[in-house]
Amino acid sequence: MYLVEYLLLAAALFSIGVYGVLARKNGVLVLMSIELMLNAVNINLIAFGAFRGNAIGQVFALFVIAVAAAEVGVGMAIVLLIFRNRASVNLDEVDLMRG
Amino acid sequence: MHALLAVASSFTGPRLDYHALAPEIILTATLVLVLLADLVLEERNQWLISNLAGIGVLASVIPIITLAVQNHAARSMAGGAYVVDDFSLVLKALFLGIGYVVLLMSTNYVEEGDYYQGEYYFLLLASLLGMVVMASARDLITIFVALETLSIPAYMLAGWRKRDLKSNEAAIKYYLLGVLASAVMLYGMSLVFGYTGSTVLTEIGKQVNGSITHKPVITLGIFFIVIGFAFKVSAVPFHFWAPDTYEGSPTPVTAFLSVASKTAGFVALLELIYVGFLGRNDVWGPMFWVLAALTMTVGNLIALRQTNVVRLLAYSSIAQAGYVLVPFAVAGDNIAARRSSFTAAVVYLMIYAAMNLGAFSVVIAVARKTRSGDISSYGGLFEYAPGLTVAMTVFLFALAGIPPAGGWFAKLMVFRAVLDSGTTWAVVLGVIAGVNSVIALYYYAAVAREMWMSPVPDGDVTPVRVPAPLLASLGLTGLVVMAIGVYPQLFAHFGDLGTLVR
Amino acid sequence: MIAQQIAFGILAATMVLASLRLVTTKNVVHAGLLLAVVLGGAAGIFVLLAAEYVAVVQILVYIGAVVVILLFGTMLTRARIGEDTDLDNDQRWLAAIVALFMLGVTGTVLWQGFRHAGGDGKVHLNGVQRAAQVSDLIFGPYGIPFEVASVLLLAALVGAVAIARRD
Repeated sequence: MYLVEYLLLAAALFSIGVYGVLARKNGVLVLMSIELMLNAVNINLIAFGAFRGNAIGQVFALFVIAVAAAEVGVGMAIVLLIFRNRASVNLDEVDLMRG
Repeated sequence: MHALLAVASSFTGPRLDYHALAPEIILTATLVLVLLADLVLEERNQWLISNLAGIGVLASVIPIITLAVQNHAARSMAGGAYVVDDFSLVLKALFLGIGYVVLLMSTNYVEEGDYYQGEYYFLLLASLLGMVVMASARDLITIFVALETLSIPAYMLAGWRKRDLKSNEAAIKYYLLGVLASAVMLYGMSLVFGYTGSTVLTEIGKQVNGSITHKPVITLGIFFIVIGFAFKVSAVPFHFWAPDTYEGSPTPVTAFLSVASKTAGFVALLELIYVGFLGRNDVWGPMFWVLAALTMTVGNLIALRQTNVVRLLAYSSIAQAGYVLVPFAVAGDNIAARRSSFTAAVVYLMIYAAMNLGAFSVVIAVARKTRSGDISSYGGLFEYAPGLTVAMTVFLFALAGIPPAGGWFAKLMVFRAVLDSGTTWAVVLGVIAGVNSVIALYYYAAVAREMWMSPVPDGDVTPVRVPAPLLASLGLTGLVVMAIGVYPQLFAHFGDLGTLVR
Repeated sequence: MIAQQIAFGILAATMVLASLRLVTTKNVVHAGLLLAVVLGGAAGIFVLLAAEYVAVVQILVYIGAVVVILLFGTMLTRARIGEDTDLDNDQRWLAAIVALFMLGVTGTVLWQGFRHAGGDGKVHLNGVQRAAQVSDLIFGPYGIPFEVASVLLLAALVGAVAIARRD
């Protein structure tokens, strides 16, 4: 079990998440891509924690999981709000990422 | 069972300094009370809630004062992860002050606008709690949790005008960019944790300055962390969410985001850079240089062609963030620059808070009559609202950096940091900042000219009725801006701000 | 050790393939299900690294709550469950270049930085303590962020109800 294997897996997931964030324009899909990135972070944290032999990595990962759950709940509330006002099911009309 | 008990008894709880934690505890108690009051109070008594929130925020300032007069050494908890020193006390007081002014600005806006009142104040206080915690956080996990606590309520406050599509868009943009920024920042934090094996900044600082200097992994970690915070403080090229979010949010929330949220981002950066990554200015120095130059220039140039006053203030606040980034860019050059950069950043944030909140108070007051944010609707404001016109002029001149309004002192501190550094790159950045101050003068003056010179657009010269809370926020911010402008030595009384500088 | 290596290989391959499909699929519901696969794979990775407690939390919170909320949100707001052509924007190539560049840089840096970390570059699990040590840390040195996180969750709950409810 080499540490670097886990880190490379996390780097791959993070990069795929970055691709998703940049390439998608549907808000829910962007959010899923961000979840991929957060998951890469968690794999990093757990792997480093195991490598260092301390539990701080696990603690950090637990905080990330708790906060991410709150974020997704809030995000879906906002998506629902927009859906209600637009009477349209198409989230893409919010022209995301275009200042 | 015995084994379980044995495990349980070996655990010793953390030693908490309740005096040092009192501001946070009072604030938490207040937000719980606000939530309960919202449940109990009838619709027509809901105005009590904003008073309750205001009293709670002021009560949280009391322990800060008692802590400050004690002249105690820094109180450190949890192995240096949570520190209450002069720097954090000043910043906590600043956040609570901002919070109180925003409460004053919100009172009539929220009451008359048919919004959920209790929840609004609850979320505002929760966000404020995150900021107060941020001022003491000296640990990656605490910084992360504080950042999310201040951001997540803000995402929802941005969408508080629920039936307005612009407000909806403000919320979703702010939300997605905010979550993305934390993911990027967390990836950087995970790398830094992995290389150092610790989350406490002082420990990381020891290792970064000592055995592991110039390791590419740390470089990458710092890079991701700075990029994540660049989103939060809306530095160019990561600023594109800010104008739309600021324009779409309810105006008091815009004021809160552009002042408090941004300040919290800078406070986190100060902690990370000065305590954690001081030895790696070869990484963050150039990054901040580029961010500062781009942020000032792009923010000001786009502000030039705005016709909506909130959007104008949005771009102006992007440009102002650029000036705060200047000290960061030169902080690593030598000891003198390190000290003066730290003071410059903190002083700039304090003055910026007063002048920007003041400008937004005027915008809210004027919009009560005109129901518009167009700059053209400010035509002839002097004829029917001379007081507001004078106040707005003071705040605009402060933002532009013209004495005697306070902003000049902030800019002076920034230039002093640049001179203390003295390297060619620093001087070039100083010149860019100087040129930008001149550009900024143009659009600030354009608004002033509209108010003083132009005719009233629809000939309606009924005076603007400014309710008492809004008047109080105008008075407070105006007083602070003028006091600093006339007597800048005021800051000398705040004790040694540079407790983070080594 | 061999068994763990094989398990890691299977999990990693599944996760990478599923996440690649997740960012390219034309069907939002499929994307949600693929996300569940990736998150489940991550839970498996955590078990391999002797972090069973985090693995359980990952399954309960991430797959049990996050993915379900995402799928509910999708179904509540989208009439069409099937294929949709208009999900990507036109900067796909740029996005791919950015992502590949980032993978290249981070991959190289991590490979060089940790290939020989700790001598042999291996993770030795004997030093890792279990859930008890995690809880000691959370309720000890990390007690303050833990309490703040509880306010954060309360704020998210109250705010989400206020934002999403019909009025």
